[in-house]
Amino acid sequence: MAGLMSLDTRRCNYFFLYDGSKVRGEGDPTREGICYFYPEETPLDKQDLLCGQLAGVARCVSELSSSPVRTLKLRRCKFAVRMMADFFWALGCSMDVPTVSVCELLDHLIDLFCFYNGSVRQSYQLNSKESLAAQWAQYLSHMQSGPSELCYIFRCLRTIDSTNVDPLLLLKAALILQACQRCPLVLVGCILFRGRVVSTQMSPQLTMKVMVHESEIYTKTQKSNEASTSSSLGGAVSSTAVFLTTSELQYLQSAPVNKDLGSQSTPHKDDPPKKTRLSRTLSDTPSTESETSCPASLQPPQKLRFSPHVSESDDSLFSPASSQSADSPNPSPQPLRRLLSNGRNSNQTEEEVHEEESYRAGFQNKEDEDRQMDSQGDGSVFEETPCVNGGAGDGDAARGTAFDYRGADSGNEHSRDDRKAAGDSGVCCRKAKGHRAGTRHPPPLTFDSLEESPLIPMTLYMHRVNGLVLALLVEPRLTSDSASMEEVYHSSLASLNGLEAHLRAAPPGAPGASGQYVFAHYDSIQSTLKTNVSGRSGGATDHPFVRATSLLHSHFCDTETLQEAIIRNVSAAMYGTRSVAQETYFQQQGSLSRNWGIPSQQDSAFSLPSKARHRLLKHGVNLL
Amino acid sequence: MKCLLIASESAEILFHWTDPEYQRNIQERYGTAQEEGEELPAFEDVLSTLFAPIIISSSTMEDSYTSFTTDDNHIYVLHQFDECLYIAVNGDGEEKEDDLRRKMHVMKKMVEVMFGMVTLSGNLLRKELRPQDTEQRTRLWKYLQGLIETYSHLRDNDQSFLVEAVERLIHPTLCEQCIEFLERRLVQQLNSSVERAGEEVLHAFILVHTKLLAFYSSRNASILTPSDLLAIIIMAQNLYPSNVDLDDPSPEEVESTSGSGPESFYTPEPSPSSRDSSSSAEQPARGGTPMFEFVDPDIQMAEDSLHTLEVGPPDPSTPRRIFLEVSHKDGLYPMMPHSMYCLPLWPGITLVMLTKIPTSAVAVSVYKYLEDFDKLEKHLREGPGSSAAARSPPNMHDVRSKMDKFIKALGPSELQFAQLQSVWTEFKKRAFARGKSGFTRDLIPWCKKMKTQLCGIYRHCFLSDLADVPQRLSLSLQERAQAMVQEKLIDWKDFLLVKSKRNITMVSYLEDFPGLIHFICVDRSGGQMIAPSLSITEHTTSELGKGPVAHYIKNKVWGLVRTTRHCLQKGYSTVTLRDGDFYFCYFLWFENETGYRLDSVDIPVLADDSPPIGMLAYDYYNRRLLRYYSKKHKGETVKCYELLTVHLGVIPTEIILQHCRQLATKLWEPSRNPLL
Repeated sequence: MAGLMSLDTRRCNYFFLYDGSKVRGEGDPTREGICYFYPEETPLDKQDLLCGQLAGVARCVSELSSSPVRTLKLRRCKFAVRMMADFFWALGCSMDVPTVSVCELLDHLIDLFCFYNGSVRQSYQLNSKESLAAQWAQYLSHMQSGPSELCYIFRCLRTIDSTNVDPLLLLKAALILQACQRCPLVLVGCILFRGRVVSTQMSPQLTMKVMVHESEIYTKTQKSNEASTSSSLGGAVSSTAVFLTTSELQYLQSAPVNKDLGSQSTPHKDDPPKKTRLSRTLSDTPSTESETSCPASLQPPQKLRFSPHVSESDDSLFSPASSQSADSPNPSPQPLRRLLSNGRNSNQTEEEVHEEESYRAGFQNKEDEDRQMDSQGDGSVFEETPCVNGGAGDGDAARGTAFDYRGADSGNEHSRDDRKAAGDSGVCCRKAKGHRAGTRHPPPLTFDSLEESPLIPMTLYMHRVNGLVLALLVEPRLTSDSASMEEVYHSSLASLNGLEAHLRAAPPGAPGASGQYVFAHYDSIQSTLKTNVSGRSGGATDHPFVRATSLLHSHFCDTETLQEAIIRNVSAAMYGTRSVAQETYFQQQGSLSRNWGIPSQQDSAFSLPSKARHRLLKHGVNLL
Repeated sequence: MKCLLIASESAEILFHWTDPEYQRNIQERYGTAQEEGEELPAFEDVLSTLFAPIIISSSTMEDSYTSFTTDDNHIYVLHQFDECLYIAVNGDGEEKEDDLRRKMHVMKKMVEVMFGMVTLSGNLLRKELRPQDTEQRTRLWKYLQGLIETYSHLRDNDQSFLVEAVERLIHPTLCEQCIEFLERRLVQQLNSSVERAGEEVLHAFILVHTKLLAFYSSRNASILTPSDLLAIIIMAQNLYPSNVDLDDPSPEEVESTSGSGPESFYTPEPSPSSRDSSSSAEQPARGGTPMFEFVDPDIQMAEDSLHTLEVGPPDPSTPRRIFLEVSHKDGLYPMMPHSMYCLPLWPGITLVMLTKIPTSAVAVSVYKYLEDFDKLEKHLREGPGSSAAARSPPNMHDVRSKMDKFIKALGPSELQFAQLQSVWTEFKKRAFARGKSGFTRDLIPWCKKMKTQLCGIYRHCFLSDLADVPQRLSLSLQERAQAMVQEKLIDWKDFLLVKSKRNITMVSYLEDFPGLIHFICVDRSGGQMIAPSLSITEHTTSELGKGPVAHYIKNKVWGLVRTTRHCLQKGYSTVTLRDGDFYFCYFLWFENETGYRLDSVDIPVLADDSPPIGMLAYDYYNRRLLRYYSKKHKGETVKCYELLTVHLGVIPTEIILQHCRQLATKLWEPSRNPLL
């Protein structure tokens, strides 16, 4: 009968963002409101039908129960729904993905968008639908790129296999991150290797967000690597504007001692308790002042500039976003050109030209050229690498050149600032118009919790050495502060090179596919997943496991007191157990005893708990 | 914050039930949208206005909605049954999605039991559910609302309605005596009386609250399915609700009054729906039926208090027309008309008799023709070679001659019959036109018309006002039956009322099964269950004690059933759970008639919106499991059992499994429970 549940590799069927404010009048076509629709090849009529009907019915239900719709199920597809002001998001997955997971996935997608683009409303005011569609597509494909179907059930960070890596390397990675923090403009960081986390100071949720950008760059570089003959592109430094929520920022800026406490009392955005808390704070504090003073007071004085002083003006808050002109909409990485072997002057002119070009030709071209330039510079980096542990002379030389470069860049910064100002005024006009339109047709649905929480602009700094990436969340000021920039760059450069060499030399983790059993171990605090489920292709054997996991995970989520469960059918038995922080699923492969159904001690299903305990020990999972 | 409504595709409300909070909520919501000074329209119109976008959108979508949830856990569940859209809402967290889906399916079942094949025609059903006459509509809706409330109450409090199987009173000798009495005395006498007006008693049974004391079916009756029996128990409970708190005296009370005679049990129910006094004004139908002549003065008093109620069935001795599944030699006939007589013996004890009505043969014919036209329609629409039904179209020449005879037998006197005849003539003209075959797609609308006409005939014969139909057991015959059974049980009634609360108790199992807290065992083939009592009321103390612990365990048991059903729906038939301090087990297995365990098969995986697993609304076990199983084990009678246990979590798993095994083998042993 399992054959009835056809093995559908595409678990995510639909995703769309619909802007109800675009479709107010009777005659307004539905497609005006469709900001993004996945799969993009869906016929327009069907897009219209789905968006129009789902958004309409969800709105009706929300009004009936004075609470926004969270999930919407059809007979063959279930949707997680988010309604925020006039925006309506829906993520449709197949029926065997747990409902809680679909909701988490959708929240994650929206969070990702806000992290890289800032406020949704503003993004759509400033940029074209098409350019933002590319963003959504990127986040969606990242979401679906998990190694197995389990990634639909558990949202997890991919980490390096610590059993194969010398613990000293992990320590070293942590030290690099700490060293970077000596610069007061650096908030936190993480180190990633080939799309996996080596060490992170951020919360898992934030790390996940950072990794999306990293993995995109990584795949792009890999592709271009194949194309170009030059062996390496190592050493590229880039930065991109990102946006943190107030709670994320508070967490980052609180003293490390309080962090543990803080993380407990303020759970992450996706945790259900938080949502009520957030909505309460928002509605309980009617004045903007009291709302913003809170995070500001927690910050050290020198960081005041970045506190969400919304009272000044919304535009200042979102100025980095507005610095992106409408033509080049992407809050794209702004590669900081490092002067290594290139001369300062030539670089400056090139930079200017480059800047102009980028505005004309858009981001993609710019990056390509960047890459060319970086590969020119590569030679020198390559020469430097042998002196991983800090040849003083080399270091000095590098510092010198970098300083020159900073000079060039800061000169450049001025012109950019000018443009920014111009952009700002443009935004103001547009915004004002938007407001007027808004007052004319007040949205009938306003829920406190639905308003977008203020976002604080930050900068994501990335330093790449081949497969290794140092990602730092820094104050936006850092990019214009050449001295600090240089300090951060050089304090980590040598150690990164060393770390990269060692990690590259580490043997690849042995594929854990021993045919005896399948397991998955999820740590919800660290958001990590250990499993020997081989991959999406091996669905034939893994599918029942994923299905059973999905079922038990739903029950664990539903019933707080549930600790252990065994379920079985003719062909398979699964054991699941969970503690406060962890969930473990274990399934024995091979034939089970036929003697079952009626209660019996001989049924091998009931020996699963002890088997799981023994077998999983060697994977570092302790169930005792 | 609960609501259930049935709507037509044009967003007309065909029925609604809301609890007071939800009604308030809706009215407030509507009031805000309303201009000041305007009067609030009828509640059903308010509902219609507010739900219209959902109803209309639902018919627009090709893949229909099944549920919505909101941030503060409002749940909406939707299901389209033919032309009616059912919507169930919960906003107080007391029901989950599957509860709502089950409630909708139960509602559908009750509608079928009440209206039979009329439900097959959307048009007729719409008229039936929403009578033009306001008073009539109010009466019908109140009755249906009462049924929903009775069902919800039973589902939340009665284990037999939790697992949807009938519970018998365990008292072998008395049960045997009663069955014999029903057979030899009661049914025989009734069926040989001239006052029965052509009706024939097929089934007679005695209910003590919701539990079955004795059940007798006459020899030429077909089996009463568990689904129908459960539905009838709901109707009987709705008519004479048992008041758990009142008629379940505390042990001290029993002690003190045991010498002074049975009076204490005559305590009538002070109000028609003391279960929920706040809503009593709105549901006079429940318990509102005046009882027959009671000898007891106390009862007379209770009756007096009922006179204040506005609406009630016109005549208490009027049987209720119900439609039940019947299996004849030549096949299954769903929704065959019966009359139900529900005679109260004492509060809490009821005699129910189901009779076959003289004209029931018409129903069989109507059903056969409906099937024929349905097949023909499918065949014409899908063409040959698609589904099984379409591949073998009925022999229309055969149907033609039979239909001609059928119409002739009905006679053209009534308007309804004349209409059928004219549609049939038209159909024949098109279908059997000379020279060419008329069996084309053009005939499809005429198939539909014929089906509607047949449903109309059915409605005319079995659902038109029963008042002017003289067929029923005469009042004196009913009284005699009532008196006979009362006489038989007079010495037992106090015992029975207590026994129904303490059918079997955990005490008797504690020694053999240390650490066992509770269990439920169900024979799914027979639709019967057995479980230690778990009644928790103000006055009584069950073995679980009283207060929060008992409630906690009760909630756990209810939760366990929900979880295991979900697992079963996904194809897992063995489940164990460690939950807090408890360890739960669930097993489902098959045996042959001699009790030999059969190998299990893959359990079908069902979609989320499939009918709920159970026996009341849809007999999952017999229709899905056993049918599926018997395909693999041809020629064997297969029985299906379920066992649920609750143990203390500290008991080692091996011991728990040993207990389960012992329970599974012992419980249905004839020596222990000869009636099971």
